[in-house]
Amino acid sequence: MHNLGTVISFEIVRTLKKKTFWIAALSFPVIIGLVGAIIFFANKSTDEQTKELANESFSIGITDNSGLLNKSVFNQPKIEKISSQAEGEDAVKSGKLQAYIIYPQSVAKEPVKIFASDVGIFKNSRYQAAAEQILKQSVSLNVDPDVVAVFSESVNYKSTTYQSDGSVDRGYLKLILPGIFLLLFYFMIATFGNQILTSITEEKENRVIEMILTTIQPTTLLIGKLVSLFSLALIQMVVVLLPIVLGYFLLHNQLSLPGIDLSQLPIDPLRISLAAIIFFVCFFMFTSLIMTLGATMPTAKEAGGFFGGILALVFGPLYAASLFVSAPQSVLVQVLSYFPLTSPIPLLIRNAVGNLSVLEAAISITLLLITTMFIVMVGVRVFRYGALEYSRKLSFKEIFKPS
Amino acid sequence: MSNKSAEPLIEINNFRMDFGKTTVIKDLSFTINRGETFGLLGSNGSGKTTTIRALLGIFPATGGTLTMNGKPYSVDSGVKLGYLPEERGLYKKEKVLDVMIYFGKLKGYSAQQAAKESIAYLERVGLTNKSDTRLDKLSGGQQQKVQLGVAIMANPELLILDEPTKGFDPVNRRLLMDIIEEHQQKGATVIFVTHQMEEVERLCDRVILLKDGAAQVYGTIDEIKEQAGGMTIEIVSKEAVPRNPKLYTVVRSEGNSTFLDPLTEPLEIQKSLADNGFSYTKFEMKRPSLDDIFVSIYGAKTEKAGK
Repeated sequence: MHNLGTVISFEIVRTLKKKTFWIAALSFPVIIGLVGAIIFFANKSTDEQTKELANESFSIGITDNSGLLNKSVFNQPKIEKISSQAEGEDAVKSGKLQAYIIYPQSVAKEPVKIFASDVGIFKNSRYQAAAEQILKQSVSLNVDPDVVAVFSESVNYKSTTYQSDGSVDRGYLKLILPGIFLLLFYFMIATFGNQILTSITEEKENRVIEMILTTIQPTTLLIGKLVSLFSLALIQMVVVLLPIVLGYFLLHNQLSLPGIDLSQLPIDPLRISLAAIIFFVCFFMFTSLIMTLGATMPTAKEAGGFFGGILALVFGPLYAASLFVSAPQSVLVQVLSYFPLTSPIPLLIRNAVGNLSVLEAAISITLLLITTMFIVMVGVRVFRYGALEYSRKLSFKEIFKPS
Repeated sequence: MSNKSAEPLIEINNFRMDFGKTTVIKDLSFTINRGETFGLLGSNGSGKTTTIRALLGIFPATGGTLTMNGKPYSVDSGVKLGYLPEERGLYKKEKVLDVMIYFGKLKGYSAQQAAKESIAYLERVGLTNKSDTRLDKLSGGQQQKVQLGVAIMANPELLILDEPTKGFDPVNRRLLMDIIEEHQQKGATVIFVTHQMEEVERLCDRVILLKDGAAQVYGTIDEIKEQAGGMTIEIVSKEAVPRNPKLYTVVRSEGNSTFLDPLTEPLEIQKSLADNGFSYTKFEMKRPSLDDIFVSIYGAKTEKAGK
């Protein structure tokens, strides 16, 4: 292992020197930034348009058959009472009025009719908005404000639940910190899965494997690659998250984003520790699996099809995510949780929502570790003895035959 | 020739190598002494590269033992190895100097030492201006030079060169030979894997010639020439040399030259040819070259006589 540092620094430095790494790393926050900017300017423009529309006044004629309208409505400038529909329609057609509204006897059973002069497909909506606002304002004047709040769904609710030990349950907030490891796992695999494959097959594809194998141990090379890729993934994550976090704190008011009070985040050391252990073991198992795949195949391109299969195994359980929360003891969830290749997602979700017992976690982690060790042993063996198979993939028989 | 000693560095005993049902090496035994330059010869597919890969632990041997300093080779066995494999390649997307420094560091140099030696080598082989160029932007010959530079980095005590002249023009071939000779002078053991006999005659102390996974000849060049039958007679003539199995056998023909293996005195052969009215422009006694021996072993005899 004495050359491990040399391998790691070579792999990290050469990747950091590549434009493609920075393009890939920076494109994500740039895209997020662009989308944010579009939303910001779109919101701004909509707000401005709404204000403009609100400031626009137009003449309205009203026939109130419902009796719901307050008399004060007709005291407002540009609003007048019309006695018949024919009169109202004529007034609109002649340009005397811009809109005429008939409130029927029962607004629950019949529609409110609006006749108006055309001001364009978008601006025509102002007439219905005005009819609605006039009705709501009038009705609310006659009803208790609390009743108005109930029906306008503006009542605030605040619930407090207690756990079995009497402590206050923090609800979804408690999912955030353990749940970060699930996002981290997804991000790492989605971003770096292919890079691991390319990196492992690189020596073979470049025909440099013989010189490497006679200079360093294959284990040193493979561990060096995995450590460097993991470090690069963390660097990339910082590059992605730093602008997002900075952007949030600098612009969250302008972008109308909800405020975050980090002091309110509950910290459950057991769940966070379990999440971290599951994350690291799963990530190591997954990278070892890709490494073995890369060692078995002559090129990254040929390994691509099998790589898709691995991704399906690991991320397929996402489709059963609701079961991991609602039915953790079901056979399907138990199988997916204990089978190492499908276990990362169920374990991380179940740990986050708190239905993964310590015993279950311990068994699953042990199974993952055993599987990982087996995969690493096979991977190193395949890398060494399949190193010179430049044009064909190794068969199962060749992989497992005694040397 | 090199500063050889009688102390064996490499010992190969009863080496056998099977790939599936195919036996590539049958039963091979030889030694290579410390400081000598050894030629591992044979045509394509004769098992040369397989032997080297098994010696270096890249292939697990089916049978027998292959040792270096008395034990199987591993990167931690303490032997400073420089290896130029037959299958050429380096990190193509990386810059020349970066790759050379990386290998220098893997071989135990500090980054400064590796950079210093790499720059000196690049200057010597005329690639100074390419040090900051990506390898895939270099010509095939230039890439070969870089790979040779990586192989000889950090003064290896054992230098294994598998078909080192492949892809080199005559000028660069001479440069390569000079570099190998320098390492010989420094006391390195050199294994030269090739089927280019000229270079072998010039550089090697001893050789082994493989055919179908078995040794055909093994020893010093003089011993092998002796084993191969001593003298050859070259006759240059526009006519076909008449057959006379009592006096000579025809080994091979190249253009107007016919090579005979004499069974009697040259004068008697000349007399017999004259008696048959055969005219020639040249009649010369020659020791067989390694090339002659190689061709005769591989059965490429083309008898012009008696056509």
